[in-house]
Amino acid sequence: MEILKTENLSKTYGKAETKVEALKNASFSVSKGEFVSIVGPSGSGKSTLLHLMGALDHPTSGRVLIDDRDIFKMKEEQLAVFRRRNIGFIFQAYNLVPELNVEENITLPLLLDYKKPDKQYIDELIHILGLKERKHHLPSQLSGGQQQRVAIGRALATKPAIILADEPTGNLDSKNSRDVIELMKLSVDRYRQTLIMITHNENYASYAERVFQVEDGVVTELGGGRK
Amino acid sequence: MKNYLTLAFKYLLAHPKKTRLEVLSIALAVALVTGIFSMLDVFLQFQKQQIIQDYGNYHLAVADASEEETANIQNRIDVQNAGRWKSLGEGMVNGTACQLAALDKAFAQNMNIQVIQGRYPTEANEIMLEQWATESLYLNANIGDSVRISFANTIEREFVVSGIYHDLGSTKAAGVPGVFLSAAGANQMTPEQNSFYLVEFKKRVNINKAVKEIKTTLNIADDRISLNNHLLAVMGQSDHNAALQIYSIGVILFCIVLIAGIVMIYNTFHISVMERVRQFGLLRCVGASQAQIKKLVKREGLTLTLWAIPLGVFAGILMTFACSAILKFFNNTYFANIPLFSISVIGIGTGIVVGFLTVLIASFLPAKKAARVSPVNAVTGNVDIKISKKKKQGFLTKILPVEMAMGINSAMIRKKTLFLMSCSIALSIILFLGFNALVDFLHTSLKTTKPYTPDISLISQQGIDNELYAKLSEINGVKRVYGRMLGYVEAAFDATRLSDTYKEQMKEITVKDNGLFVPPEKSWLISYDQRQLDWAKADLIAGELSEDKMNRENGVIAVAMHLRKNVSTETAHLQLGDKIYIDTPNGQKELTVMGILRKVPFSSEELALTTLITTEALFTDLTGESAFKAVGIQLKRKNDEGTVDRIKGMVDDTISFLDRRQKNAEINQTFLTMAVFIYGFVTVIAFISILNIINTMHTSVASKTRYLGVMRAVGMSGTQLSKMVMIEAVTYTLSGCLAGCVFGIMLHKQLVTKGFSQFHIVWRFPLPQIILILLLSLLVTMFSVVRPLKRIKSRGIAEILNSL
Repeated sequence: MEILKTENLSKTYGKAETKVEALKNASFSVSKGEFVSIVGPSGSGKSTLLHLMGALDHPTSGRVLIDDRDIFKMKEEQLAVFRRRNIGFIFQAYNLVPELNVEENITLPLLLDYKKPDKQYIDELIHILGLKERKHHLPSQLSGGQQQRVAIGRALATKPAIILADEPTGNLDSKNSRDVIELMKLSVDRYRQTLIMITHNENYASYAERVFQVEDGVVTELGGGRK
Repeated sequence: MKNYLTLAFKYLLAHPKKTRLEVLSIALAVALVTGIFSMLDVFLQFQKQQIIQDYGNYHLAVADASEEETANIQNRIDVQNAGRWKSLGEGMVNGTACQLAALDKAFAQNMNIQVIQGRYPTEANEIMLEQWATESLYLNANIGDSVRISFANTIEREFVVSGIYHDLGSTKAAGVPGVFLSAAGANQMTPEQNSFYLVEFKKRVNINKAVKEIKTTLNIADDRISLNNHLLAVMGQSDHNAALQIYSIGVILFCIVLIAGIVMIYNTFHISVMERVRQFGLLRCVGASQAQIKKLVKREGLTLTLWAIPLGVFAGILMTFACSAILKFFNNTYFANIPLFSISVIGIGTGIVVGFLTVLIASFLPAKKAARVSPVNAVTGNVDIKISKKKKQGFLTKILPVEMAMGINSAMIRKKTLFLMSCSIALSIILFLGFNALVDFLHTSLKTTKPYTPDISLISQQGIDNELYAKLSEINGVKRVYGRMLGYVEAAFDATRLSDTYKEQMKEITVKDNGLFVPPEKSWLISYDQRQLDWAKADLIAGELSEDKMNRENGVIAVAMHLRKNVSTETAHLQLGDKIYIDTPNGQKELTVMGILRKVPFSSEELALTTLITTEALFTDLTGESAFKAVGIQLKRKNDEGTVDRIKGMVDDTISFLDRRQKNAEINQTFLTMAVFIYGFVTVIAFISILNIINTMHTSVASKTRYLGVMRAVGMSGTQLSKMVMIEAVTYTLSGCLAGCVFGIMLHKQLVTKGFSQFHIVWRFPLPQIILILLLSLLVTMFSVVRPLKRIKSRGIAEILNSL
């Protein structure tokens, strides 16, 4: 079953001489429950692609369909609600809210939805993420690996259909990186979520079921990572 | 790039919007300081001109100076001009009482005596008359006419009118023409009543010192020396009590202006540096030393100041110009010597100094902080935030919707930012309330024409009959006619209510067994109708003013500041409910004090114990009189000479016709001169405060662009985002308002009760101002975050996240 589909997705930055075609006519689809990794050199357009899929940016042309709904046809308010319910983001720089503690950061998307967090699920999540002892700590009191685990918790809190991760291990050492990947994998398997992850690391790419390569804005599928 | 310091400049150019905000904020602070100080400077110049018009351009008056003394003073190097003023008392000119005086021609200009026809009297038998007094109703004399003057000592002499001079408002209003004899003529008159040698010192002379010198070298006693305190006060040279009080208020208020300017600049600079911790960390990573970071931040501050100061100074000059323009527009003859564009060196100087010094201080502290940023922080991106344990439990998010909780949280958590933002807003409010105390002062201590001020007064000892009163009311050009009965009664009350100064003046006062005193003087009794009682409400200190109630319960109104020969004195401290016993033809009558007025707008001719006001019915009851002694007339159009002539035609010999219009206009002018500046101060402060709030909020929102981007990525909707930012801004504003109102009210109360204690101003809680402040601040805050929010929302989230 198709969960995400892009049609002729293009993005151009700037005009005339400074014009950069970051993405050229990308068309592909991803099924529910799949783990897709995106690889490619710096500046190839990976992040642009990910941002477009998460509606963080507007395409120059083309469409993105999530659950058969054209996300760029939605109004800003609708989109915000849609995003917090269906898409979880994980950034390389964590981007946690510095004033909120671990628990608050994780439940933030739920709180924004005015939902009462499912205590059991959140506790389970915190437990899996190994943050039980750090529940009331602030981001500044955590290590990089811990911070990224909080970010993962935040992305998973609403049990979104799709998780978009932009080099989630980019700032982490190999042990922490492996933990993070394992955690994401675990979640995807348990809740039948779709994970799309940008990575530089060939090793981590191989965890994925499908690998896309982006080069000069052109997306090509390399085939299954995990044979 | 030749030098790493160029980075500061490049950074500012690369962020034009941010730079503009910072420049604007510094410029605002500089404008505040320059504006207020220049306005003060120019205000004093205008006030000086005004006082010269009102009181004359002299600094020192020496009573009964001998020839030797005058010669000595005149030859002093620090004396600009001097002349002798002789008051020759009252005299009858063609049957009308006049004030006779002589003034040296050289000093006439200083005392605003302008000859408009003929020439200044020089021969012993020459005199000069006021223009209005030449009319047939008064002296009926013109240039070349000879008149007979009978002096107080029954001497009569013949004089020739040599000149006519410009009307003086006060003599015209009093109905007593001023007549000037020549110096030679005055010398032949003995005994002269008062003689003063008036001295104008040169500019920049230390007058107090010069006066002291004159006193010691010529051995002149203190009681022969008097100073023109009003003029000295505006020149900053008075050591008179009231002037010193006002100086100290000025010092307090202007210190707050300075502090406000400093905090405004510091606040913006603090926000700007704090949001760039990461950038400084990065510089440290690439090898910048702590000292270099400090230098960089300081250089940035300097560059900003260089752009902002000219702007601020220009705005300050503009404000001053607006005030000068208004005053010159209304009266260019008074203020002819003051240029339209007054450049105040003091104002501009303070503005520039404050701007530079503050930016130096303001950039020094954040620079230190910036320098201390560890390179690691820059890479991991997290800045230490000190948070109390309670916050960590996430209390707020449990009781409030999350966006509100986060809004409050992010304001409360950055203690220093919260403190500075609140301070910046609070100081504006404190200033506003402080300067508002001056508005109270303006309205209670300076006279202006009030609703009850008559254009023309008719006064008669015999009383004005009802027929004439009715006829006056029917004249077409007359707006209103109202009458007062006046009389003197023997009034006694509890002796403990008499003031110490009065007891001292009266030497011995007999107190009877029942506690009442035997009145050493009569008291002045005035009748008011309900309309006049309503007019008096503006001066009501306690109690109420109701004609019906006073008639029912034998009420009387006491007056706190009683005028004895035009000098305001407190003779008694009567309280509500006090009994006053008045002797009437039918025996003693008991009256109850039902209201207390601060003052009444007229003065008794005789020295009286105190002033009492009662209703017309009670007045007749007490004295048996029922004819008005004074009638006030208000005209529909002030310069309707036709109506004035008709009234003149109705008046017979027993009635004095007093034309008060010129004096009223002069009084209004005095009020206007002060009002323009005091309201100017308040407006400038309010305006700058509003701009300051807008600008600070702008800066604060703009500095959180990335943070807001993250929130949107996590799924915050536009409405939630607006709410969060709004709540944060409101938190700053409310805490600022709270602090500002509390301290502002305290200052306001202190200024009104302590600073202006001599003026009997009742302190009232400034509720309307507080409501205005709260409403305005909240509205301005809401309004000020709308634009930056809109801009952030219009940008793509990815763009924001990648931009830093």
